[in-house]
Amino acid sequence: MKTELQSAIAGTPADTALSVRDVTYTYPSEPGPALRALSLDQAHGEMIAIMGASGAGKSTLAKCLNRLVPEFEGGDFRGIVMIGKSRLDAMRICEAAAEVGMVFQDFEAQLFSTSVELEVAFAMEQVGMARGEMQARLRPALEAVGLAGFEHRDPTSLSGGEKQRLAIASVLALRPSIIVLDEPTTDLDPEGKAEVFALIAKLREQGFSLVVIEHESEELMRADRIILLHDGTIVADAPPAEVMTNFDLLEECGVHVPGLNRVLHLLGIGGHADSVDQAYEAIVRTFPRLRTFSPASPTALSKDPDPAGSGEPPLVEVTGLSFSYSENVHALKGIDLRIERGDFLAIVGQNGSGKTTLAKHIVGLLKPNEGRVMLEGRDRASLRAAETAREVAYVFQNPDHQISAATVWDEVAFGPRNFGFDKREIERRCAEVLEAVGLLDARDKDPFLLSKGERQRVAVASVLALRPRLLILDEPTTGLDHREQRRMMALVEDLNRSGIAIVMITHTPWLVAEYARRVVLIRKGRKLFDGTVAEFFAQDDLLAHSSFRAPEVTRLSRRFGALALTPQALADWIKERA
Amino acid sequence: MAIQLYLDRGTFVHRLHPTVKVIALFVMFWSVYWVDNPIALLPIGIFMLWVAQLTGSWRNFYRYRWYFIILVFTTTIVWLFFYRQGTPLINLPFVHVSRGSLVYGLGRGIKLAELLGASVLFLSTTRVEEFTVGLAKLGVSYRVGFAISLAFRLVPLFIDSAMTIVDAQKLRGYDFEKGGLFERMRRYVTVVIPVFMSALRRANNMAMALEARGFGLRNNPTTLIEYPVMPADVVAGLTLFAIATGYFLIYYTGYGAITPG
Repeated sequence: MKTELQSAIAGTPADTALSVRDVTYTYPSEPGPALRALSLDQAHGEMIAIMGASGAGKSTLAKCLNRLVPEFEGGDFRGIVMIGKSRLDAMRICEAAAEVGMVFQDFEAQLFSTSVELEVAFAMEQVGMARGEMQARLRPALEAVGLAGFEHRDPTSLSGGEKQRLAIASVLALRPSIIVLDEPTTDLDPEGKAEVFALIAKLREQGFSLVVIEHESEELMRADRIILLHDGTIVADAPPAEVMTNFDLLEECGVHVPGLNRVLHLLGIGGHADSVDQAYEAIVRTFPRLRTFSPASPTALSKDPDPAGSGEPPLVEVTGLSFSYSENVHALKGIDLRIERGDFLAIVGQNGSGKTTLAKHIVGLLKPNEGRVMLEGRDRASLRAAETAREVAYVFQNPDHQISAATVWDEVAFGPRNFGFDKREIERRCAEVLEAVGLLDARDKDPFLLSKGERQRVAVASVLALRPRLLILDEPTTGLDHREQRRMMALVEDLNRSGIAIVMITHTPWLVAEYARRVVLIRKGRKLFDGTVAEFFAQDDLLAHSSFRAPEVTRLSRRFGALALTPQALADWIKERA
Repeated sequence: MAIQLYLDRGTFVHRLHPTVKVIALFVMFWSVYWVDNPIALLPIGIFMLWVAQLTGSWRNFYRYRWYFIILVFTTTIVWLFFYRQGTPLINLPFVHVSRGSLVYGLGRGIKLAELLGASVLFLSTTRVEEFTVGLAKLGVSYRVGFAISLAFRLVPLFIDSAMTIVDAQKLRGYDFEKGGLFERMRRYVTVVIPVFMSALRRANNMAMALEARGFGLRNNPTTLIEYPVMPADVVAGLTLFAIATGYFLIYYTGYGAITPG
């Protein structure tokens, strides 16, 4: 076997940056392999995007490229990975670091130093580089990521996007042959995402060999190839135009079908568009009449209106709310907000804009410096958070902050037990909510052994068991693959239909477009917008100012003077007029 | 919330050689260790406050003010239950209030507060990278030194994480303020598992990121910043030696002890 593999490697073309041959890998605690006989090649300067559902093997593959698998993870590894002409299995992880630079999703966990320059120097220090050489490499690495001038800044004071760019600079300084980015934008706000994707594009132009693992399909359209993983095997390895138009395969693999391609498909045009301009041209070529439609004064293809007020006091009424964490950090300034029964509200804004601080005031974790928060006509300041848990529920961004019990059942029963419900009532509620979130079969499992998507659903179930009237979700889809995101949002939509008001803090434009009915935009602690989703996406200046982008489908619809929030709505609108 | 204590002030204490700063931390611990008497603990306490003023570290002392107050106050109270020597000033069941028990408890409290103060001062003026370098120069292996210095950086992160977890449990109706002192302490046990799991995940991610950046390739990595030994380091070293000797003499001559009364 080895001999066959070695002869295969010997035939690798000279311009190959990376070669993976017949890699099969099984984690120590898992019964089946995470990767199965996987082979791929990457030419120098090529950008490969790797996509697939959670558990498909994307991160495992990334870890194979710098020896984290199997050296760090253990387990059974077979096959060969070559970087250029060097076999990786002859290297330790720390030796492979000079060849393969790796950027992880968790930007907090990959910064160890107290200043930007020391962070960039860290890897160079580890390989024993001379001081003069380090100083010579420092500036170009920071310039490449747009952080020149930040040398003495504390990395913890940077924004999410800047932190991730710093992590990239720290691997660039070693001048590796390949840079692997494992979901580098998952935890970032739209501005941070845009910064990182712009940097990826720039690195590609400079000829770096890149391997990018991402859930966001729209941003990967300019990759040379997309490799689709499913259950540890490669099910597609082709240019984006080919992979991103195979809807059945994408859906089977839990990957988001790009909205523009979906519109073209629904219109019977088919094919692939990697930008709004391309999609527009394809549509007007087929339906020339649409060229005459003007982008001015868009007509909103609106969703259901918000439920009419019942005459009762609002669920939540925030008046003149201001809050500071310290003398110099004003987190909220004069916020007014009403949340009615049955509302579905999205709160958007950059990282650090004050979204979570506002939510914490609503649930009673913080008390205002100025202004007040009323909960169904009662002053929130006089109520403790634990007392109102049955009325207002909050699901944290990281489900692991909530989970403390040994089984899923006990976790969900935690809230009802705190309120002293009898055993029968607790059982009834737990069964009901676990059924709703699709985890009844997992009732006896250890929640920490579930996937991130499942843990997120456990967290939702554990607050739903208290039957709140308002559910606040802080980034409910972060770290979930597309299928899990859809499942989570279908659950949230059902809850909203059953009468629970939803407040969703999110950075994801398509979630706002497809699910919310109202948007509140917060910037630097001030409320800049409060209105319908259609109104929000029609405000180009406001969007640009707040670094929030409308989904591509919405931007395409604007070219025709419409304002569609989903591919189906836009396709129907075009069909009617064309 | 700032997750590290280092304050980039550029004072002469900040510029001292990392080894001198590590020795300074050791000397402060050493001095506090040898004496129990509050009067004897006073000079080193005043010295720390003077350095805090000099280095602009008040912000961090203010940040931890409640910890200082709680340490001194609760330790003084707790020792009233255990220190049984000296003539009682008032007769109370279980509690022995004498001049000796009050002075002993206060001394213990000040001792703990000074240990905390020394740590705050050290972390306010020393980067974690300098801590690693300082330990390495004193013969501690690079990996061990790095792990120790990283632990200092991670403690505030874990505290932050624990606070979020407490909030999450409150929001499911778990009342941390219910019951007496011991019941309240027991109720915080629910936080242990998530904090532990969160710490493990973070440590695992961090370990992977470290390895992927070449950590462990060499036992003696190079450093971007040069740390030359300056005259100020020699002066500081001699001063520290004098303080350490002085405190040992206070102990040796018995002036640092407490006489029951």
